[in-house]
Amino acid sequence: MNQIKILLKQHIGAPCAPVVAVGDKVKKGTLLAQPTGLGANIFSSVFGEVAEITENHVVINADEVQPDEYEMISGETNLELVKNAGIVGMGGAGFPTAVKLNTDLNGGYILINAAECEPGLLHNIHQLETQTDKTVRGVKYCMEISNAAKAIFAIKAKNEKAVKAVKEAIKNEENMSVFLMPDIYPMGEERAVVRECLGILLEPTQLPSAAGAVVINAETVLRVAEAIEDKKPCFSKNVTVTGKVNNPSVFTDVPVGTSVSTLIDMAGGLADGVIGEIVVGGPFTGKSVADVNDPITKTTGGIIPTIEFPDLHGANIGILVCACGGSEARMREICEKMNAKVCSVQKCKQAQEIKGALKCENPGNCPGQAQKCIAMKKDGAEYIIIGNCSDCSNTVMGSAPKMGLKIFHQTDHLMRSIKHPLYRKLRVSKKIEQ
Amino acid sequence: MSISVETANAHKNDPAVLCCRAEEGTIIEVHNLEDPAIFDDLVDSNLLNLDGALTIGQVLGAKLIKTCDSLTPLTAAVLEGFKASADEEAPKAEEAAPAAAPAVQAQVPMAQFNGGVLKIHIGEGKDIDIELPLVNAGFPSAGGVNAPLQTVNVQQQEAAPVVKNVTKGSFDRKHFNITEVKRGPETKIEGTTLYIREGIEADAVASQDLVVDLKIDIITPDRYNEYSETIMDVQPIAVKESGEIGSGVTRVIDGVIIMVTGTDENGVQIGEFGSSEGILEENIMWNRPGAPDKGEIFIKTNVTIKAHTNMERPGPLAAHSATDLITQEIRDALKGLDESLVTNTEHFEHVRHYGKKKVVIVKEIMGQGAMHDNIILPQEPVGIIGGKPNVDLGNVPVTVSPLEVMDGCIHALTCIGPASKETSRHYWREPLVLECLQDEEIDLCGVVFVGSPQINSEKFYVSKRVGMTVEAMDAEGAFVTTEGFGNNHIDFASHIEQIGMRGISVVGMTFSAVQGALVVGNKYMTHMVDNNKSEAGIENEVLSCNTLCKEDAVRAIAMLKSAMAGESVKTAEKKWNPNVKASNVEAVEEVNGEKLELVLNEQSLPMSQKRKEKYN
Repeated sequence: MNQIKILLKQHIGAPCAPVVAVGDKVKKGTLLAQPTGLGANIFSSVFGEVAEITENHVVINADEVQPDEYEMISGETNLELVKNAGIVGMGGAGFPTAVKLNTDLNGGYILINAAECEPGLLHNIHQLETQTDKTVRGVKYCMEISNAAKAIFAIKAKNEKAVKAVKEAIKNEENMSVFLMPDIYPMGEERAVVRECLGILLEPTQLPSAAGAVVINAETVLRVAEAIEDKKPCFSKNVTVTGKVNNPSVFTDVPVGTSVSTLIDMAGGLADGVIGEIVVGGPFTGKSVADVNDPITKTTGGIIPTIEFPDLHGANIGILVCACGGSEARMREICEKMNAKVCSVQKCKQAQEIKGALKCENPGNCPGQAQKCIAMKKDGAEYIIIGNCSDCSNTVMGSAPKMGLKIFHQTDHLMRSIKHPLYRKLRVSKKIEQ
Repeated sequence: MSISVETANAHKNDPAVLCCRAEEGTIIEVHNLEDPAIFDDLVDSNLLNLDGALTIGQVLGAKLIKTCDSLTPLTAAVLEGFKASADEEAPKAEEAAPAAAPAVQAQVPMAQFNGGVLKIHIGEGKDIDIELPLVNAGFPSAGGVNAPLQTVNVQQQEAAPVVKNVTKGSFDRKHFNITEVKRGPETKIEGTTLYIREGIEADAVASQDLVVDLKIDIITPDRYNEYSETIMDVQPIAVKESGEIGSGVTRVIDGVIIMVTGTDENGVQIGEFGSSEGILEENIMWNRPGAPDKGEIFIKTNVTIKAHTNMERPGPLAAHSATDLITQEIRDALKGLDESLVTNTEHFEHVRHYGKKKVVIVKEIMGQGAMHDNIILPQEPVGIIGGKPNVDLGNVPVTVSPLEVMDGCIHALTCIGPASKETSRHYWREPLVLECLQDEEIDLCGVVFVGSPQINSEKFYVSKRVGMTVEAMDAEGAFVTTEGFGNNHIDFASHIEQIGMRGISVVGMTFSAVQGALVVGNKYMTHMVDNNKSEAGIENEVLSCNTLCKEDAVRAIAMLKSAMAGESVKTAEKKWNPNVKASNVEAVEEVNGEKLELVLNEQSLPMSQKRKEKYN
């Protein structure tokens, strides 16, 4: 029997409190848990019976037969529907969408984040190509709720098909436009989207509202449309499964709570050869999955099994931590997997610690890294590993190799697994003709 | 890493290098530029070639005409609209950095303790004129010194009602002008002509066992192009008319100085870490506090001492003593001169400004170990008789009044590197003491001389006494100065540590730059002023070139005031950068509202063969 594990914390805020008991029969869309503070409702994604409830999750034994129908939500207003649907930011941040939209932008902007800048992930672009109209309607709802006058789709220019589809869909919408972004990382960082679309560089502590804008992920917009038009609760997620699987695929409307291993099976199973690790999320900000039976959540974007790690035989390695890539802990984990000894940890000048997480002062625009490379070299590094954005990686390449440092990027094994160029020298312009 | 507006301003004359890739059309701003602090590392490892690079001041606001990668030096080939000179941009930069004015003194240098090596980097001046004494005058005119001192007494400090000005002492310096020096049957002064007794050389030689020969040369300006052995000392000719040193009346001759030069019997120069033998005008940095002023006549003794005594205490002392026998005869003649021959009188006062921040000057005397001495407090100004050699005093700190310093309480036998050694005349015209005496914002309580023993354990013995002395004075701030470089920096660092650890603000002053980079350091060495003036930052063996001058004193005072006010000073760059001094001088000028004329360096002198070799 298929078991589905639904986490009680799938969002920024406190874990939700269960409202079901073991033995309860549930349907798709049955409310399982409610917020205790900042948070969002959590629903069952399957028909079945509650088998286990803990502090952290609810386990449901799924029925063999899974009809398409679901329990509908109700609400007086569109905002209430979004809130009751339990929608959270699906780009990965998981901020409750009803809270984000419950603002008066007073004629400001809805910025649709379709940058999908984590390399390898394709589900946002797939959605724009296949569900264009519903996405555009979702944007309109968001504009109405938050009193925005304009909406801008931020899409990388390389996604020509999606750009064409969106442009076609909004050709009669005076207040909507497309902003083309270069194919560099991290264009999808919230403040990078604001900076690129509106020309306003926010402080790391500021929210987009400071620029009169709300930045909302493309899939989130779609779920808003579903909540309002279809009264559908948020219990499914679009996921890209790529890397060392036999059939890399985009899966739409995957029930939240589905296990990583199920998704890998759906993608044809693991490819032959040694697997280095399985990353959940994107190559830059994702994490190595501890257990393949772990479930996906409302914020899971990618599942990427990787090729094996190189063995550095205990060589000294320096870590350059930045806000755009993995945390120091993640970088150390990779070093350990590469059998390297960390001898130096440097932090990018622009990485500021805000509420326990690093944020870049000016995402994607390098502040210079030569000093950091010199410091790592002085600390005895033979190798260095960086998690930097495209621009900073380029800068590191301008000095580190000449110093005799050998360079890894934190995403190298992932890039090789998805057959994407490694992050080294920057060969494209940061500016795009609109 | 990209730099701030303040850093860009401080480095406006340094090369501009992109910190990161920048695309065609980019208008260059400070965040596009790499920090010059790392250039040395990069250049050293062939990662960077700065040939043809424009300066930071030139490129700001210019437009990049070609996409360039990180660490690309910005040259005329890739920019349009850059400025012809960095200065063009200066006022704009200041507008862009309103913080510059209050941060003025915080910009003043700087020391860096880096992996066990402390390096200091400050600049130098060049091609600017001199503000020190007038030609043919032993000292600035009476008005120049008197006026500010007298103002102190009348001026009420509005913001600090508790300030009480008390004059602790005073003395007068009467000047007698000499225009000609001749030999004659007796030592005497007639009008403005000084006669030196023929045959006095034999008496001088006879007075000292270690002296085997002594010659006197009267060097007039037309003979500046002659060869001389190494210059051991430059001394004023002065005598007490009344009172003891530091009080009463002193008479001094203008236009003539005593110069002690010499070798041992084997022709080895009496000096260490370089010597200044050669053509006089190629080896003397004119008008430094410790050097002859251009135009003066030298009574130059060329003393030959016994072989191998040049590197021990008694040898140089004998050379000085033999010379002092001659000076003493002139002193006696000067003492009897008619009052009508006085050309001007300077009045020195030591006014305590009770209620202002109390500061003390600690001068480390004798740079290199213990082979040469300083005679402290002789009977006559810069004499020998009656004075005590600091080595015999155990090198322990000796506290004197600023007036005693200005009245020749030190007879310097220092024979370390010519460019940084402080001659007897240096103390007689000591710029830091003079500037502090005239500064009514601080309360100069005294000057402490401390020797530099040879053995490390003794160095720490005396530096601890320095710390206790300064603590007992309840000083809030201290200057520590030293001459020479290398071994004496161990004491220097320890003095600063012993003072700093007692919570007293301390500013260090030394020749450092390239060749004198500190070999030791500690966490209290955060406020440093480099006395270097040489073009290349080296001991160039030009007499007095790198000694403490007014421009250094002014910077040090500004820095100590900042330190006592709790302001921080930027960390030094890894390598010596002359532009740091330039921007600090600018900052000090802005605060003080007066132009600080920088002294010339060796580039203004005819090039000696030795220097040609050194600089190539």
